[in-house]
Amino acid sequence: MKSSGTTKIWLLLLPVFLFLLLPAYGLFSALWSSLIHQGSLSLQTYQELFQKETFWSSLFYSLRITFIATGVSLVIGLLLTRTFYPVINRLPGKLSVWLPMLFPHFVWGYIVLLLFEQSGLFSYMFHHLGIIESRESFPILTNDQNGIGMILTYIGKEVPFVVLMLLPVYVQKNHQYKDLVRTLGGGRWAAFKDAEWPWVSPILLESGVILFAFILSAYEVPYLLGATFPEMISILTYDWFYAGDWSERPLAFAAMISTSILIGIVSWGLYAITNRKRWLLTKGKR
Amino acid sequence: MMKTLRHKQIQFWVYISILFLFPVLFLLYKSFTLPMRYETHLHAHFTMQGWVTLFSENQLIQATFVSLGIGAIVVILNLIVGLTAGYALAFYDFKGKSLLEALILFPIIIPLLAITIGVHIAMIRLGIADTWVGVVLIHLVPTIPYAVKILRNGYTSLGTAILEQAYVLGPDPWQRFLSIDLPLLKPAIRSTIFLTFVISLSQYVITAIIGGGNVVTLALVFFPFLNSANSTVLAAFSIWFALLPFLFYILIELLFLLLPYQKPWRTRS
Repeated sequence: MKSSGTTKIWLLLLPVFLFLLLPAYGLFSALWSSLIHQGSLSLQTYQELFQKETFWSSLFYSLRITFIATGVSLVIGLLLTRTFYPVINRLPGKLSVWLPMLFPHFVWGYIVLLLFEQSGLFSYMFHHLGIIESRESFPILTNDQNGIGMILTYIGKEVPFVVLMLLPVYVQKNHQYKDLVRTLGGGRWAAFKDAEWPWVSPILLESGVILFAFILSAYEVPYLLGATFPEMISILTYDWFYAGDWSERPLAFAAMISTSILIGIVSWGLYAITNRKRWLLTKGKR
Repeated sequence: MMKTLRHKQIQFWVYISILFLFPVLFLLYKSFTLPMRYETHLHAHFTMQGWVTLFSENQLIQATFVSLGIGAIVVILNLIVGLTAGYALAFYDFKGKSLLEALILFPIIIPLLAITIGVHIAMIRLGIADTWVGVVLIHLVPTIPYAVKILRNGYTSLGTAILEQAYVLGPDPWQRFLSIDLPLLKPAIRSTIFLTFVISLSQYVITAIIGGGNVVTLALVFFPFLNSANSTVLAAFSIWFALLPFLFYILIELLFLLLPYQKPWRTRS
């Protein structure tokens, strides 16, 4: 580690600082717009927002979908990586995991439509196998009220993301710690808890926070696979933002600021739950 | 031991086939066959109609070039920011470093929609809304955090020793960067280019808001297509989305060939 040349450091960091101005300005401008009511500073918009039934149902709906999609993606990603990392780390394995990364979320959403909608492949196959009579007897899995189509899309897209985040950890990890735990009489659970989790949890947490934030506020997949009611929070925001006379624009800003705050709270909570001391400990060693 | 590895390999490919390969292959199959009719018997009609229709759309060709152009500029800006910040974060200790690291992650934690509607008015005032400049700028938000992260890790695993050696040998920083940093960082740069381009290509809503319908990227053509075109054309269009990063990647690889120490016959320099 060098420590001289402060000017050089600042010069090197100048581009990233210039970039950070953009999202920072965006966030503060959105906050400001949500706090201005008829020319003066007030919480009027938030009062109005919190009285809206559509806002709450949309928020809880979005949270449910997001928690399920994030959780399932993390679990599948973790299981795949820890079981198969020697295979994934070779070229064919890596390429196959990169494959879904090539497709935009909305394209993956379209694939889910092709497979799971009532006139999709599975319905078609079940029909020809004689399991269902007509396409109407195939369960509604896309544009459904439970958001199954959205969850399936996110799982397909986010599992590779989780695998690629976790892969370096498993490849570089010292696997002798596990043998040490076993030698000392620890079981499989102890080996996982003491020789694996401390290394994996910070990256898993980071991936989880990124996914949670992304899924909660993404627009494309709900647009394609969401139900008309309840709507994901991003769809509601977009509708308010472009509602005819702009009178609902402050609501759009307030909804997005509330979502941002929620993401902040959840990330902080997750961060607090996972053992912070261990994180710092392992960070220095890797 | 060997046996379990072999066993694991088979297991892995079964899972991967179900999760990733099958959906992609089905999409490919769809793009070459007529839409399935529910009542008729099981058989596939081969057709090139989907691809022919797709490429006869002028809009698609134009949008492809717009997407490539915007993607290329976004990639270049990402590399500039990522390489400089990555270098600083990998090799220097300074006050507020961990705060800065958290700040760099924050654009992908804050809803992109919040940031976009937040900067919209300012972009109108600056005259860059409805132009490609505005679209490029907004595409930086979901990409740069990843670029900095990947390139920082690249520099960290490179270590200081080889860079110090270069410093001893020649103080021209640009030449040092071209002949040492760039070739050695190639894997990290590759991942950055690829990921950045794919993310830029995938942005629909922020492109629609900031571009105001004037900057028509591929994503902006795809969404209206969803309601009008048949599944064969849409499947071909979907495949096109994945092919484009490949084309871009090949272009970049050709550019990489121009770098020092890439040609096998060039042993002296």
